[in-house]
Amino acid sequence: MRADAADQVEPATNKYLIAAVAWAIPGAGHLLLGRRQKGITFLVALTLMFATGLWLEGRIFPLGFDLSQPLVGLAAIADLGIGLPYFVAKFMGEGAGRVVAVTYEYGNAFAIVAGLLNMLVVLDAWDVAEGRK
Amino acid sequence: MTTHLGLMALFSIFVSVVFAALMRDAPREQMLFGARLFGGFMGAGILIGWLLYPLPL
Repeated sequence: MRADAADQVEPATNKYLIAAVAWAIPGAGHLLLGRRQKGITFLVALTLMFATGLWLEGRIFPLGFDLSQPLVGLAAIADLGIGLPYFVAKFMGEGAGRVVAVTYEYGNAFAIVAGLLNMLVVLDAWDVAEGRK
Repeated sequence: MTTHLGLMALFSIFVSVVFAALMRDAPREQMLFGARLFGGFMGAGILIGWLLYPLPL
């Protein structure tokens, strides 16, 4: 009995799935693709960097675009780049940010850059899934 | 740890580790590239800090 196209199993390197997983959990895309060392490196480094940003009393910027504060919207997009940790931190009530804390701006920088770096990691996972790397 | 220099070093470590893993495949090359990046970040940060020192706010 011949299998229809719809019955065929999706290959493990579905690049859209890889990109989504890579965004949601830092390093998970590389782990799915068999790049274990890189995946664990990204998972540990990016999660720790984001957590350090919260420890330094940085703010997780809220989604939603306020024209009077465009940089807040851009920072929120960058924060969101880290994936699930963004929502976990929100759910746990972390990331309120304490503006008067000495480390407030440092915390923001750590959290924002962690999100931006994870976006690069997603692009790298996409390239690997496409066979370009 | 929460001094400017300490946080700069911590930030540089995180960024260097991620870029090294992104841009190199072999673990030894990753170590060397990451160390060079880290040195560059720290050196540039200290150099720019000293260059800005005489400037008024």
